[in-house]
Amino acid sequence: MADVKGANLTRRRMFLQILFKSLKVRKNRVAITFFSIMIGASVITALSSVYFDISAKMSRELRAYGANFFIGPKVSSASRNAELETIREMVAMVPPDKLIGASPYIYGVVRLDLGNAVLAGVDFPGLKKLSPYWQVEGKWISVDFDEDSCMIGKTLAKNMELKVGDSVNVIRSETGFQKSLTVKGIAETGQAEDEQIFVNLALAGQILGQQEKANHAMLSIVTEGTDIDALAQGMEAKFPELDAKPIRKVSHSDGRILDKIKGLMAIIAVIILTVTTLCVMTTLIAIVSERTREIGLMKAIGADDRDIVRQFLSETLTIGLAGVAAGMVVGFLLAQLLGQAVFGSFISFRLMVLPVTLVPSIAASLLAAALPVRMAVRVVPAQVLKEE
Amino acid sequence: MFFLMLRQSFVKGWRRKALATATIVLAASLITALMNISIDVGDKMSKEMKSYGANINLVPKSESISLEIGGVNYNPLEGQVLIEEKELPKIKEIFWANNIVGYAPFLKVSAEMAGTAKRVPLLGTNFDKPVAVAGDEEFHIGVKVINPYWQVKGEWPAEDDSATILAGAQLARELNLKAGDTVKVKMPGVQGGEELFTIKGILSTGGSEEAALVAPLPVVQRLAALEGKVQSVSVSALTVPEDKLSRKARRSSDALDSLEYDRWYCTAYVSAITHQIEEAIPNIAARPIWQVAASEGAVINKIQLLMIVVTIAAFIASGLGISSLMVTTIMERAKEIGLTKALGAADREVYLLFLSEAALVGVIGGLLGCAVGAGLSQVIGLSIFGSLVSFNWVVIPVNVAISVLIALAGSLMPSRLITRLYPAEVLHGRR
Repeated sequence: MADVKGANLTRRRMFLQILFKSLKVRKNRVAITFFSIMIGASVITALSSVYFDISAKMSRELRAYGANFFIGPKVSSASRNAELETIREMVAMVPPDKLIGASPYIYGVVRLDLGNAVLAGVDFPGLKKLSPYWQVEGKWISVDFDEDSCMIGKTLAKNMELKVGDSVNVIRSETGFQKSLTVKGIAETGQAEDEQIFVNLALAGQILGQQEKANHAMLSIVTEGTDIDALAQGMEAKFPELDAKPIRKVSHSDGRILDKIKGLMAIIAVIILTVTTLCVMTTLIAIVSERTREIGLMKAIGADDRDIVRQFLSETLTIGLAGVAAGMVVGFLLAQLLGQAVFGSFISFRLMVLPVTLVPSIAASLLAAALPVRMAVRVVPAQVLKEE
Repeated sequence: MFFLMLRQSFVKGWRRKALATATIVLAASLITALMNISIDVGDKMSKEMKSYGANINLVPKSESISLEIGGVNYNPLEGQVLIEEKELPKIKEIFWANNIVGYAPFLKVSAEMAGTAKRVPLLGTNFDKPVAVAGDEEFHIGVKVINPYWQVKGEWPAEDDSATILAGAQLARELNLKAGDTVKVKMPGVQGGEELFTIKGILSTGGSEEAALVAPLPVVQRLAALEGKVQSVSVSALTVPEDKLSRKARRSSDALDSLEYDRWYCTAYVSAITHQIEEAIPNIAARPIWQVAASEGAVINKIQLLMIVVTIAAFIASGLGISSLMVTTIMERAKEIGLTKALGAADREVYLLFLSEAALVGVIGGLLGCAVGAGLSQVIGLSIFGSLVSFNWVVIPVNVAISVLIALAGSLMPSRLITRLYPAEVLHGRR
């Protein structure tokens, strides 16, 4: 009994000693193993971090398409106006970090120097974020209290012979309003806006004699992680006189594009994961194969095959765990670099990344160590030691 | 002697060489696939982006300003200039004809629905109509082609069936219409402009069409006595993102010198395509719809950048992977090198041996990797975009060169280490 126990103890001490020595003496080899596992793990960590974050990131990028949510009076209601206050309250129901931009709109026909045109009252700071695609010559109006400037659509500007910096008289006969405004910018969108003149909401209210009113509002909301239909229902429940709905054209296409990008990233991530894992494996196989002689020696002094396999596996596992840990840190930094370069923002950390990196890295390392060792233990020690 | 040693090293150490080659094949295939995809991803995503609808709008070149608010026009229709429908196939004859995915003509008139005093917009368009153009047998025009987001509950009307119509969702809700109902539509002020329609389906688009009746184009032309005329045309074209040159061209095409002009004209910028359409059809103005055109550019640029950055990351990782493998395969040959040195080989010769070995492995691995990578990129293309990725031949030389360079770089450091060893120590087995 005691003998067996003693033998076990020595065996364990022997095992630990070999492990320790092998890590300490062959610093080069340990360094290379550690290094290659670390590279593999860092690539996997970086890519999976980016993958898990890609929907959120691209969903924000897709807001370049502008408004995807509409608020306006119900079709059935007689009024074509809504209270500005109500619209503001509804906009405030959108989580602030999901709201890219929003602007109420009010329209009316006014007389300019050379003819009639549609005047639109908007909230310029909101509109600029809402419609980043506007091609503006000159400048955007950047504040919502500017009551001496206007922006004008390209076609209208051409017909009215207006240039940036010119002034234009805006006349509304119904309200008797007349004022000369400076053209701050000329906008081109290719749509109805090209034939409209834009002023701040408050000024439009004065011109049209409809203060604190709006025809409708457009919003740009990040759809990823927001239940946009529930949001619309919530708004309608609170303000039943108004209609709130996602704009089908944009939201439908967003979903399709997002799916494509996610699919592309997924398949690329899987391919990189596989290839990197295989790369790590070939390196480890090369490292372990070179130790055939050592295995022969161990067998010659009485180690059994199982002991040898266990010995090598624990060695690889020790280095592998350290490598994966370091790789995760490096990989996460790499992901930040990627996120900054492409999206100009940080990639958030997700717990899913840990198993996705750990499992294939460790499994590949162990497999890579086990294969050559198993081959090596089969050979006759004398042959190996003689170097044949 | 040198070639003998080189051959021996490949024959005797074939296992080692096979591993090195395999690693390079893996890395090279990864880089090939990623390079291929990043070169082609712009075109592929551009096609996907077509789901946002048309990106060019054709309108008559006229001086009048429309006074339309929320689908209600405050300007009388009289005297309005219109586009000739028969001119439209010329869109498919421009320099970038192959980039024109499709187009849809529109004619919008104000009609009266019998039984209600209400005026509703009546929109005439093509739904899905084959058009004969040179070089494209399968060319179809209509809203189904260019606006995939239009959804119909019920059926689409037939192209020339005069008695069928779509009702916009908002209008249908308002007037309680459903598929199968009949409506009588009257054109005020036009003789004989009255007809009975069967509603085939309810249309949702999220746009102003939801408040309108949508009928086949010939029917609306006949009702409004505007045969062969259309009011506007939406064109969907594949474009490349805007850059400095196209912005310069947009400000004024006179600012370009002839070389720049040629480059601008022969690039599928949205501004170049609109310019060519205006050249092909007189009396129209082609305007980019910036909501689609500019945003598409922004998103595609992002995706391309993403792919390039991922490719670079994968490239660095596989470079390091190959280097570490090279280090092991060389370090384990310390004894052999000790022997050659003891027999009188100069350090230079040892270097030469290792580097030529590495170069050879790099070339073989790089070429095989290109083949595997080309296959991989097709798998990606087919599974994501449902079409083959075009293979760019630049990838092959770039890839082989990269593989060789990495293999050489990876060998340099361990070769230096190994030539510094003392033969006696190595042979004795102390190192």
